[in-house]
Amino acid sequence: MGSNLGDLPSYDPHNFSQLRPSDPSNPSKMTPITYHPTHDRTLPPPDQVISSEEKNILLRHFYMRAEEKLKSKRAASDKLSPEQVRKHPRASISKGHL
Amino acid sequence: MSTYNYVVTAHKPTNVTHSCVGNFTSPQELNLIIAKCTRIEIHLLTAQGLQPMLDVPIYGRIATLELFRPHGETQDLLFIATERYKFCVLQWDPEAGEVITRAMGDVSDRIGRPTDNGQIGIIDPDCRLIGLHLYDGLFKVIPFDNKGQLKEAFNIRLEELQVLDIKFLYGCPKPTIVVLYQDNKDARHVKTYEVALKDKDFIEGPWSQNNLDNGADLLIPVPPPLCGVLIIGEETIVYCSASAFKAIPIRPAITRSYGRVDADGSRYLLGDHNGLLHLLVITHEKEKVTGLKIELLGETSIASTISYLDNAFVYVGSSYGDSQLIKLNLQPDAKGSYVEALERYVNLGPIVDFCVVDLERQGQGQVVTCSGAFKDGSLRIVRNGIGINEQASVELQGIKGMWSLRSATDDPFDTFLVVSFISETRILAMNIEDELEETEIEGFSSQVQTLFCHDAVYDQLVQVTSSSVRLVSSTSRELRNEWKAPPGYSVNVATANSTQVLLAAGGGHLVYLEIGDGILNEVKHAQLEYDVSCLDINPIGGNSSYSSLAAVGMWTDISVRIFSLPDLNLVTKEHLGGEIIPRSVLLCTFEGISYLLCALGDGHLLNFLLNLTTGQLTDRKKVSLGTQPITLRTFSSKSTTHVFAASDRPTVIYSSNKKLLYSNVNLKEVSHMCPFNSAAFPDSLAIAKEGELTIGTIDDIQKLHIRSIPLGEHARRICHQEQSRTFALCSVKYNQSSAEDTEMHIIRLLDDQTFEFISSYSLDQFEYGCSILSCSFSDDNNVYYCVGTAYVMPEENEPSKGRILVFLVEDGKLQLVAEKETKGAVYSLNAFNGKLLAAINQKIQLYKWMLRDDGTRELQSECGHHGHILALYVQTRGDFIVVGDLMKSISLLIYKHEEGAIEERARDYNANWMTAVEILDDDIYLGAENNFNLFTVRKNSEGATDEERSRLEVVGEYHLGEFVNRFRHGSLVMRMPDSDVGQIPTCIFGTVNGVIGVVASLPQDQYSFLDKLQSNLRKVIKGVGGLSHEQWRSYSSEKKTADAKNFLDGDLIESFLDLSRSKMEEVSKAMTVPVEELMKRVEELTRLH
Repeated sequence: MGSNLGDLPSYDPHNFSQLRPSDPSNPSKMTPITYHPTHDRTLPPPDQVISSEEKNILLRHFYMRAEEKLKSKRAASDKLSPEQVRKHPRASISKGHL
Repeated sequence: MSTYNYVVTAHKPTNVTHSCVGNFTSPQELNLIIAKCTRIEIHLLTAQGLQPMLDVPIYGRIATLELFRPHGETQDLLFIATERYKFCVLQWDPEAGEVITRAMGDVSDRIGRPTDNGQIGIIDPDCRLIGLHLYDGLFKVIPFDNKGQLKEAFNIRLEELQVLDIKFLYGCPKPTIVVLYQDNKDARHVKTYEVALKDKDFIEGPWSQNNLDNGADLLIPVPPPLCGVLIIGEETIVYCSASAFKAIPIRPAITRSYGRVDADGSRYLLGDHNGLLHLLVITHEKEKVTGLKIELLGETSIASTISYLDNAFVYVGSSYGDSQLIKLNLQPDAKGSYVEALERYVNLGPIVDFCVVDLERQGQGQVVTCSGAFKDGSLRIVRNGIGINEQASVELQGIKGMWSLRSATDDPFDTFLVVSFISETRILAMNIEDELEETEIEGFSSQVQTLFCHDAVYDQLVQVTSSSVRLVSSTSRELRNEWKAPPGYSVNVATANSTQVLLAAGGGHLVYLEIGDGILNEVKHAQLEYDVSCLDINPIGGNSSYSSLAAVGMWTDISVRIFSLPDLNLVTKEHLGGEIIPRSVLLCTFEGISYLLCALGDGHLLNFLLNLTTGQLTDRKKVSLGTQPITLRTFSSKSTTHVFAASDRPTVIYSSNKKLLYSNVNLKEVSHMCPFNSAAFPDSLAIAKEGELTIGTIDDIQKLHIRSIPLGEHARRICHQEQSRTFALCSVKYNQSSAEDTEMHIIRLLDDQTFEFISSYSLDQFEYGCSILSCSFSDDNNVYYCVGTAYVMPEENEPSKGRILVFLVEDGKLQLVAEKETKGAVYSLNAFNGKLLAAINQKIQLYKWMLRDDGTRELQSECGHHGHILALYVQTRGDFIVVGDLMKSISLLIYKHEEGAIEERARDYNANWMTAVEILDDDIYLGAENNFNLFTVRKNSEGATDEERSRLEVVGEYHLGEFVNRFRHGSLVMRMPDSDVGQIPTCIFGTVNGVIGVVASLPQDQYSFLDKLQSNLRKVIKGVGGLSHEQWRSYSSEKKTADAKNFLDGDLIESFLDLSRSKMEEVSKAMTVPVEELMKRVEELTRLH
């Protein structure tokens, strides 16, 4: 049976071209240097210290729906008088209470 | 009291859990990155093979390792998530050669049930988000913005609670995951979801597939143009996409790992639980999948990860055996295998059990581990230090010096071995039969002590005695020239190379001679203010036969000086401080760096960097090698030069990664050493020790030596018996050839020198060996092996029956002399007051060894103690019994002789699930539990009330990050009773990841000092990925997290020695302790392992 191992990918044909197979009873002993960073870039830029959103999934869902509603309302009432728009901040106030 | 403990790794983790391939270190370079639980290793693919670049400790247990490339980047970034819910994105800075952190964070949730099937971390192939499944019912998203920066993470509710795998699908306009899950009827299905990043929610995906293989456990996403996903089951493999469904049956197997071969995803390597490697091919036409094909390629170690590297080479990472580099051949070999194993990378994991023995009876412990699992099970003999393999030896008392000489300048081998005594010099040589016999070099004076000998140019030999320097032809062996010391002068010390001689006579006279063809020229004489104690002119500059510098050690002012040659001008003078005179100096080069080594009379060694042009000495370092004067000599092994320090604690000094390392030589005391590279004994050393001259070869120069004994079966318990010089194992043999996998449990007896099976005893069907012990009983001189077993019946939750078998080794055979049925699994056996103490399910049971009327023996139950969930681990000391329970931490029992009863004395009321216990001393007990923590508890004998006395107080807590299976008292290094380190009690542990570690109990003042050093080092050595060392070592369980206490991280402390000088000085300043002192103290600690 012919195997399907033909045409195996090659990124750099030189890789492994000069590999000298070691005695299989003798394990490879090359040990890399242990890395001990002493530089300051082990800390990421401040905006890349990631945390999780604290909001509960359910509440997030409520707010999003509320916002969507408002948005769609606002979209519909864009041409209305400005007083009605003032209602908008309320949502964010109530958000603070929850 | 062993309250203050120092934990250090003697053998790093070797269990490979993850691997990936990509362009990490540069856009052109291809890297293999492997994770070994708490470390990652970065390798470079080169023409010569895999070249290790860096070993990076991670302050966490790696749960996910992925390479990815955000839009606009030219090289890959590395995403790592840890089991304690930290993640980081790492980038390689090629200019600085540093790993920098692009992003990091904490993805833990305050509430949430950790997933049972492990954490999943995946990155969208179009780099729109990172997905994490950490808690049941939740999918965490870390979105990328369009610049490739990470944004705040959020959770999405995932309906499926029993998730087996999640992967991102390729080629979807919206990021889409495919979820493999099990429903509450244990049926398995896949489902797809689109991740709506804006709405922070899932939208039903394009397809789903119900009722898959019951063993489906792994998803492989297929890249474009085919897209879709492969679902790997135990009996079928399915390809699934919105438009296609193809399935093939396979021979039953549990696929543990896969590696994609082609970028277009048409071929995959699959590794199964038996170590078989298959090739899975997706056949397709015009970007449409037409079918699947699977083909067996051959056998490898049981793979936990497979990475296709390049040009048919594949990395196989293993948790159960050695990892491998294999090549896939187009044509099968004679056995029909397409797999050729080319390299093997040692893995000791999982260490299930081990014992500490002194096989060579040299006073040094060796660890023999039960390593690996299933067919890859093995024993590993782990030994610290460098061994000398004795080839020949003769009794010779009073050796004062030794030198090897060649019979011609260009002879590659040494012929003569000059051995000097107090009042004579004898010459040994190899005769035609390759035997060492006494001979003569007529031109040498043999009636006096030789101070120094060397080969010289023009086929000559040089001998220095107290009265003269003799130049002798190495071919005719006749004297050609002689330099005589002026009357009244006596040469005390001398050195030479092939063209130069430097000698010192009493009164501070220094004389420099040069060697010509048949002539010795006195070139220079200098008068120093004090006597010279040692000299060296080893040529380390460009010219291999001429040195332009001389190193001179001085009496009186205790200094070492560098003189220029030939004019004997003083170049550098370095006062050594203290009152101990230098006894041996040596100029040498390691890895292209020149050093001056200077050994003192009290076993200390100083080393300096030596500037060859200016002769300046810098970067002074001091280590303690022994307690007696040291003699330094260079020698070569495998074409690298090393230094042998002969003393009461012989040491080889070598260099690795441009750092000097000191490795013990496994010999008790060596007074002199010289290399002796003869044709019969190539690359050998001649060693003078304890009235004996030995010729031997030397091991590879490295700290830990590991020998593998492959068993082809899984050894689970091991025990050594000194008297019969055997090991006994509880072992499991898996039979994979039959239709169903069967297992056989066997007690094996092995010779402790050859490690060959010499006798076996098969256990019953369903009977497992659980514990093994070598012990003797009162009123009986025999030493027995006792084996505790359990009948593990498929229908029982816990075994209700077991046996204790007592064997005697007779004529190399296991003879069953007694057996006793028990009412459960015998988890532990201990020798106890001449009796046998067994832990059987909930009970601790004591058995007496009784003589029957017919002269046979039997085990008779004496007393017991109930009250454990499962008493798994038991240690005893005197009448005290320490029990590690399955889930009730540690309790302390006492055996009362008068009443013949065992009673509980105290317990730790925490709910720790124990994995190992050990008694450190009368009052302190060490425990390891299944959240990878170590802790110590103290017996409170002085408590005021009964209630207080009945509590074991937790005194130490530490997160090891390793699952410990066994503690054993003992040491990997030869203990020096008169050194400071020799006084420190140590205990060794072995873990699932193949770590061998040491817990050393320190005196309080040393602990406080090192504690301060540790906190200063935390400020200097930063955690990779911004992970905090303090958090990493904090005790952590489901219930609580608490700062580590009364444990120190020796790995961090000892990395002080790897710091640059300026960083060392920074630490030294903060500590207000000189660098040299810090180095000496830390170097001493490294001698614990």
